[in-house]
Parts: sequence; C-alpha cells; structure tokens
Amino acid sequence: MVTLKQQLYAWRTVIFALFLRELQSKFNDKFGLSWAFLEPFVFILALSFFRGLLNEGDIHGISLFHFMMIGLVGLQSYTTGIQSVSMSIRKNKPLYAFRQVQPMSAIVTSGFLEVAIKVVVIALLALALYLVGDGISVDNYLLLIVLFSLLWIQCISVGLMFGIAAAFVPEVDKIKSMMMRPLLFISCIFFSLQDIPEEYWPYLTWNPIVHFVELARYACFPKYGSQGVDLAYTVETTAGCLFLALCLYHITWKKVLAR
Amino acid sequence: MIRIENMTKSYPSKLGPQYIFRDLNFDFPTENNVAILGKNGTGKSTLFRLLAKSEYPDRGRIVTNKAMSWPVALQTGIHPQMTGRENTRFIGRINNVRSLARYEEKVQEFAEVGKRFDLPVKNYSSGMRAKLVFACCMNIDFDIYLIDEATSVGDPIFRKKARASLKEKSEQAGVIMVSHELDQIREFCTSAVVIDEGKLTYYADLEEGISVYTQESK
Repeated sequence: MVTLKQQLYAWRTVIFALFLRELQSKFNDKFGLSWAFLEPFVFILALSFFRGLLNEGDIHGISLFHFMMIGLVGLQSYTTGIQSVSMSIRKNKPLYAFRQVQPMSAIVTSGFLEVAIKVVVIALLALALYLVGDGISVDNYLLLIVLFSLLWIQCISVGLMFGIAAAFVPEVDKIKSMMMRPLLFISCIFFSLQDIPEEYWPYLTWNPIVHFVELARYACFPKYGSQGVDLAYTVETTAGCLFLALCLYHITWKKVLAR
Repeated sequence: MIRIENMTKSYPSKLGPQYIFRDLNFDFPTENNVAILGKNGTGKSTLFRLLAKSEYPDRGRIVTNKAMSWPVALQTGIHPQMTGRENTRFIGRINNVRSLARYEEKVQEFAEVGKRFDLPVKNYSSGMRAKLVFACCMNIDFDIYLIDEATSVGDPIFRKKARASLKEKSEQAGVIMVSHELDQIREFCTSAVVIDEGKLTYYADLEEGISVYTQESK
C-alpha cells in the first residue's frame, strides 16, 4: 500500500522535474528567462505611464499611474494565467506516456510557474516605483495577499476547465481568446467603478476581476473606498470555480489521456 | 504476471464508439520475453499503452505488482529543444533514480552519443534519438520493459549491445515487445501473445505464435 507521504513525495518529484523542464525549454532563446519578467513589466509600465501622461490628476485619491498599474497587474495575471494553464494540458501530451505524469501535474506546474513569474514582475514594478521616488505604501498587506492568492486559485481553476474543454473540442481555444479580449474594457482597468452610475453596476460586478482589481486598489489606498465590491464575492466565485474544475477533472482525466 | 480483469476499452469515433476490447479477462505472462503479435488495428499498441498505464480502460482494471517501464517508443518524453543530458535528467527525475549523476554517465556511455550529449536533441539523427531513449530506459531497473519496434532501430553493433543488455536484464526482468518485424521478435522474444478480434491467446512457444499469426494474416 502506498502511503500518503510517498504519494506526496512522488507528486513533488514529478512537479519539480516538469518545472525544470518548463524552464529549460520555454526560455531557450537569447533573452532567456529574463524575457518572461521583462515583457509584462514593460507592458504594464508603459501603458500606465502613457495613460498617466494623457491626463494628470488622480482618481478618487489614487494617482492615475498607480491606478492603472494595479488594474493591469490584476488583469495580466488573470489572462496570461488562464492562457498558459489551459494550454499546458495539450503541450505536455507526449509526457503522459509516463504514468507518473498526469494532466494535473502539468496544470500545477504551469500555474506555479506563472505565479512565480508574476511575483517577480510585481517586485520589479515595486522596485522601479521606489527608485523613481513614487512608491506605494500599502495599507493592508493581508488583504492584498489574500486577493492575489484567490485570484490565482480562480485563474488556475478556470484555466483547467478551458484546458479540459479544449482537449475534447479544440474550437474552445478560439472562443476563449475571443472571450478574453473585452476583459480589458469591462474589468475597471481604465476607469473606476465609482465613476459609473450605480444603476449600471450589475452589468460590471458579475465579473470577479472587477472585485479583485477594485479591492486591490482599496487595500493599497484605503481612502479609495470599496463601494460596490465585496470580498465575499471573490471567495465565492473562487470556491465555485475550484469545485467545478476539480469535479470536471475527476470525471474526465482518464479520457483526456486518450485524446 | 499482469492480470487483466473485465477490461473494456473503446475509442469514440464518428461511427460511435469503436470497441477494441470487450470484457476481456486475461493473465498476461511476464516470466519470459513476450512479443505482442497482431494485424494492424487489432489493438496491439492500445494494449501496450494500457499495460503501461499511459491510458486507462473504460471499465475493468489491470492489476500488477511489477514495476513497469514507460512504453519506450521513438520520441516519448524527449524534448527537441533540450539537450540529451537535460532530457536524461528529466527521465531520471520522474523515475526517481538514486543518483542522477551516475545515471547520466551510464546513459551517455550506453547511447554512444559522446560529446553530442550536450547538444539539443533536434540536432540528433533519428538513430541517435532512438539510442538515447533506449539507453534511458535500460539504465533504470524495472521488472518489465515495454519496448516498441521503433526503439530497436540503430546499427547492428548497437542492436547487439541492446540484445545483450536485455538478455542480462531478463534474468530478473521481463520484456514485452511490439513489432511487425519477425526478425526482431525472434532476436528478442521467446513467447508470444496473439491478438485477434479483441481476444488474446498466449503461445509459450514463439514459433507456434508466429505461425498462427502469419496464417491469420493470409
């Protein structure tokens, strides 16, 4: 009989091996691993900077630059996370010949890699802000960490569901990228929920990213306020997504192998 | 011994599920080197992958207490962008070898790749890749080695070496092999399992199995 400890040890070995393999194969060009950090860093920094140039001033007590940056970090984490987690099922297909490697190992590995990359990106952004003397003093670190963890659990769950669906119906990938595109405009990245008339809030607040982004701004700048958004909603959607994704995985993973 | 219990395996298709095996019960012998024989499309590779647990049956199960290798085919688990050494280390890691450094050394020597061990696998010839995969497998101690025909390519000298090491292994371990080439099978195996229309039959004598198989083929 295999004990739980051995089981966990085996999982750890496989995930560690996959993680190294991912690192070695993903960043094989001249830029190497640094590209993974540089690209989102430059994207977020440039977009927030130019938005800040367009009109000076602040939004409900946050400078536009910071406002944009928090929003973009949230959205970028979510979309690139879903993208690479859902792709990982198919990308590691040849490896399922080893019975130690299961689709879940691929999911966990790519999720972990994405989190690690985003943590470094955030550190870089914080460092850049500090160096130009425009640093953010975060008011509520605990809330920020909770939000970041929830966001990742949710995003890996959604990625897992998309990945399984795409294993059966490849067209899902096209629909997925179509669904991702409007997220930039409806997730309160360029504007605050508080600037929208209250009767239109229900059209935006179904989207958990809105809650994540607005709460993250609130966690950094308490005077920004948290009208219309709710931490409970992020917890509920995350739990729901995780539950659904694990159920779906449990009933389909053996069939996914044969695809 | 590998026991197959009430196994059903099908693949979905436009014409409805295609059943490869239906409620199959069979005791797969592993004492000596076994060849799996059968026409194209009878489910040789499927059986092979099921035994390796690379795939799972729809119903029923396969029970064994032996340590099985992965199904060793031409490309399994080899990433073309990574070097031979990195690929070897990956395979070593997921199979939990005791000392990665020693494993690496042994594979490098067995596969006869020399300095090119540190080049990306995409620069290898197909023969070299096959050698690498084969070497990776042979240097881990399994109870049963699952070898696909593709792996036994390579020059005569390498084949001789492969046969010698398989012989040596067969003292404690068994080999299950899928191939169409009867020469190769005669080289490596001593008994046969013939698949026909979802039924398995074991022939303790390889020649008897081959004659049944070649007559079926007519």
